[in-house]
Amino acid sequence: MEIPILSIVTFLPLAGALLFVFISRDKENLLRYLALIIAIATFIVSLFLYFNFNAQTPEPQFVEKGAWIGYGINYHIGIDGISLYLVLLTTFLTPIVILSSWTYIQKRVKEYLIFMFLLQTGMIGVFVSLNLFLFYVFWEAMLIPMYFLIGIWGGKRKIYATVKFVLFTMLGSLLMLVAIFYMYNLFYKATGTYSMNIFDYYRMILNPNVQIWLFLAFGLAFAIKVPMFPFHTWLPDAHVEAPTAGSVVLAAVLLKMGTYGFLRFAMPMFPDALQKFLPVLGILCVIGIIYGGLMALIQKDVKSLVAYSSVSHMGLIMLAVFALNLEGIEGGIYQMLNHGLSTGALFLCVGILYERSHTRMIKDFGGVSKQMPVFSAFFMVCMLSSVGLPGLNGFVGEILCLFGVFKANTILAILGVTTVILAAAYLLWMFQRVMQGPITNDRVRSFKDLNIREIIYLAPIVILMFWMGIYPQTFLRKMDVSVTNLLNQINRKEVIFTEAKTENKKPPVYILKEKAWDKDSTAKEDKESQ
Amino acid sequence: MNTIYALFPVLIIVAASLLVMILEAFFKRENRSYLAYLSLLFLIAAAAGCIKFWDKGYSYFDGNLSLSNLSLFFSIILIVTTFLVILISMKYLALQSANYGEYYALLLFALSGMIIMVSSSDLIVIFLGLEVLSISSYALAGLRREDEKSNEAAVKYFLLGSFASAFLVFGIALLYGATQTTAIPSIVEGVQSGVSVGSLGLVGLGLVVVGFGFKIAVVPFHMWTPDVYQGAPTPITAFFSVGPKAVGFAVLLRIFIPYFQDALDSRLIFGLLWVIAAVTMIAGNLIALRQTNVKRILAYSSIAHAGYLMVAILAQDTQSLVFYLTAYLFMNIGAFAAVIALGKKDHEYLELEDYKGIGFRYPWIGATFSVFLISLAGFPPTGGFLAKFYVFSAAVRQGLVSLVIIGVLASLVSVFYYLRIVINMYMREPSYDVDINIDNPALFLALFLCLYGVLQLGIFPGNILVLIRQAVSALPLL
Repeated sequence: MEIPILSIVTFLPLAGALLFVFISRDKENLLRYLALIIAIATFIVSLFLYFNFNAQTPEPQFVEKGAWIGYGINYHIGIDGISLYLVLLTTFLTPIVILSSWTYIQKRVKEYLIFMFLLQTGMIGVFVSLNLFLFYVFWEAMLIPMYFLIGIWGGKRKIYATVKFVLFTMLGSLLMLVAIFYMYNLFYKATGTYSMNIFDYYRMILNPNVQIWLFLAFGLAFAIKVPMFPFHTWLPDAHVEAPTAGSVVLAAVLLKMGTYGFLRFAMPMFPDALQKFLPVLGILCVIGIIYGGLMALIQKDVKSLVAYSSVSHMGLIMLAVFALNLEGIEGGIYQMLNHGLSTGALFLCVGILYERSHTRMIKDFGGVSKQMPVFSAFFMVCMLSSVGLPGLNGFVGEILCLFGVFKANTILAILGVTTVILAAAYLLWMFQRVMQGPITNDRVRSFKDLNIREIIYLAPIVILMFWMGIYPQTFLRKMDVSVTNLLNQINRKEVIFTEAKTENKKPPVYILKEKAWDKDSTAKEDKESQ
Repeated sequence: MNTIYALFPVLIIVAASLLVMILEAFFKRENRSYLAYLSLLFLIAAAAGCIKFWDKGYSYFDGNLSLSNLSLFFSIILIVTTFLVILISMKYLALQSANYGEYYALLLFALSGMIIMVSSSDLIVIFLGLEVLSISSYALAGLRREDEKSNEAAVKYFLLGSFASAFLVFGIALLYGATQTTAIPSIVEGVQSGVSVGSLGLVGLGLVVVGFGFKIAVVPFHMWTPDVYQGAPTPITAFFSVGPKAVGFAVLLRIFIPYFQDALDSRLIFGLLWVIAAVTMIAGNLIALRQTNVKRILAYSSIAHAGYLMVAILAQDTQSLVFYLTAYLFMNIGAFAAVIALGKKDHEYLELEDYKGIGFRYPWIGATFSVFLISLAGFPPTGGFLAKFYVFSAAVRQGLVSLVIIGVLASLVSVFYYLRIVINMYMREPSYDVDINIDNPALFLALFLCLYGVLQLGIFPGNILVLIRQAVSALPLL
């Protein structure tokens, strides 16, 4: 019997959470070390996925399938070149955030770690699910631990922020749920079998008018999560109020769930609607880029500055994804990882400053680099990676993104470039005000430089930043086949539907033949309904 | 098969209640928990009987009382409800000085009425069961004699309940006039085919909706709910929020699902129920937002849940309705059990304010209560999510997309007030100490059983679904 590696990666954190329930809350250090061990173990297991990943095929790998509830609702997981890195990003960051909150979280350590692990299982589950129902369960279940993380360990306006976060996200996902019901039902009517398998849904060619509504429902859920302008307002609140670890996870992984949702669900399932909405989506992305950047410029709080920079950067990622070409989508995915690393790292740096000063206001700092030279170096690398300096990871991603966008639409690309300019402006200016210049605030003089623990968790990120910037091939080549396949999926569907239209019949749904590797899909026949 | 065994579940419950009444005279007040153990024992016997009769299809009284699988499933739901209610009552009665022996007897009488209702398809017999249930309920609501609120609850419930019964009887009479029968299948057939029936039958059906609308507490027949729920002893509130609702829906589904399926023109009644469902979901959830008493929040939440259940009737999907009721049973009784857990001698902590900091002070109570609330709000991986999932997906299958959108948006609203309790438990600092009596093993057993139910139904619902499918497939709705 094969070892279910992917299930282990997904559920090891959950097992950790269950274990923690039975450990006394007083043994805080035991809890912390154990959490670190579990998180690192999960990461090591997930490395197997990377090394055994076959980059030659677009089919999902490490597939596990089991009966669950029936009626098309099965346990079905697997990864391809798109989800592989997002899983790795999640497992890579979890030990880091656990280390980063080693001393920051003093109250209720046990509950904190339990929620952290529940969150990790939820996030990985979202990326590996190949069954729409399973995906939705993880997608929703993941809200609960995040809700507690912000609500219990957050800042002054934590309750406002956490409720806003939950309600915004729920709004989108509930409407998506209705769309899922609709597709489920449509598939049943067309084929006579129940299915929630996403590969079955890929083969479903829907009438463009129906697609518009479904795309809106799915798109809203994902756009809120990304967040795309104008659905971004929950993000600054949640980021600012969340504890450092929460912000890191939020920025690095949760936002990627939105982009991932577009890539995995909304785009390949509803390509005709996608084409219709492309102009609107492109403009929204550009607005997000410029608006986020300008808002970041005027922030007084370092953390909300980083939060708004997220809005701007995510705008570029989405713009690149909507370019619908190989460079764009690969760049988008690569930039998702970069954004996860660099923004995550920036939040960690802000957290380090906050732990020393208990303030995040830019004006309270100044000349910190004199007191903390080591920290200054780390902070600078992270900042420059976010700006997109050549040699660091951000540069590769942004260049690819912009290449892709230029191919698709020159005007949007020119507007999109502003993200780099604005990022340089607000980040460098912030760095100058916080780290350089004379020490104006006496409290800064008492700052201690990084301790070993802090160096340990910042160093891997910085190393990865250089690696991804200097030799991106390691990462990009494993995506090629999957991304090409995705593009074929989007384009092929258009072709088929125009054919169907020219024959003067407009079926509401049209099911394609299965692919060779999708043997056990439930709908066997090439059917056409009505 | 026509056999006297069909009476077994009802008889054993009635026997238990009579026995409890007699024994009460011989036990001192402090020792009355023996009565509870006795009742539990009889409930287990009745449940065993129901399980034994599965697939047997026993009936008696010329089929007026018939134990189809669906009836048995509903009976088991009701028995489990009563079982859990007794568990959460035991300590509560002693603490709140309401330790009257009649309590268990009345509870069992109410249960027998409910079992009669779900086992019959004759409206007269159903009415009989309803009266047994109602009269016991009025007495139970007013159990705390010294408490003003409890008295108010009893009187209000009695007055409005009598009106509802009157409407129901009137409706039955009109249906009889229109179709010359009181048996549901014949009525449905008559009303469907009927050129001659016309408006008489429609008005009759409308009045039946009113009568049962009161029991299941849908808007606009919900006015009594918050006050009665607040005033009644908390375990009884838990009982009211599940038991009568389940039987009400059991009867409605027998009448309206076949009616909607085959009727030539059922649009009028369908439209009526559509509006009721939509308004119930919206109003129930919106009003709950403004409540500060936890019992009232749960009251309005139960109104909202009646709305979701109504969607299942409109979707004509018995399976999802039964599954929803099963999940609702565990999460709602669980929530009330957690509320009861926060009590001490002669005092209950019922205001939102009291819940501050509970999550860390009493981690198990806080955690289980959170799970129930999250389930009520419909988050995965709990039974509440799967229940909503089935109901709404059945509704989409029937083309009720707009109703489902109303439903999901209403449940978005509900997230806010359920989470308000969680916020208070975990995210706010307490301003005063809440001191509770935690020596209450029966209650914790009930909490655990409900927690198990909610998670089992949410994560591995397979077995229950198979049972429900069996119950529904053997359903000529007779």
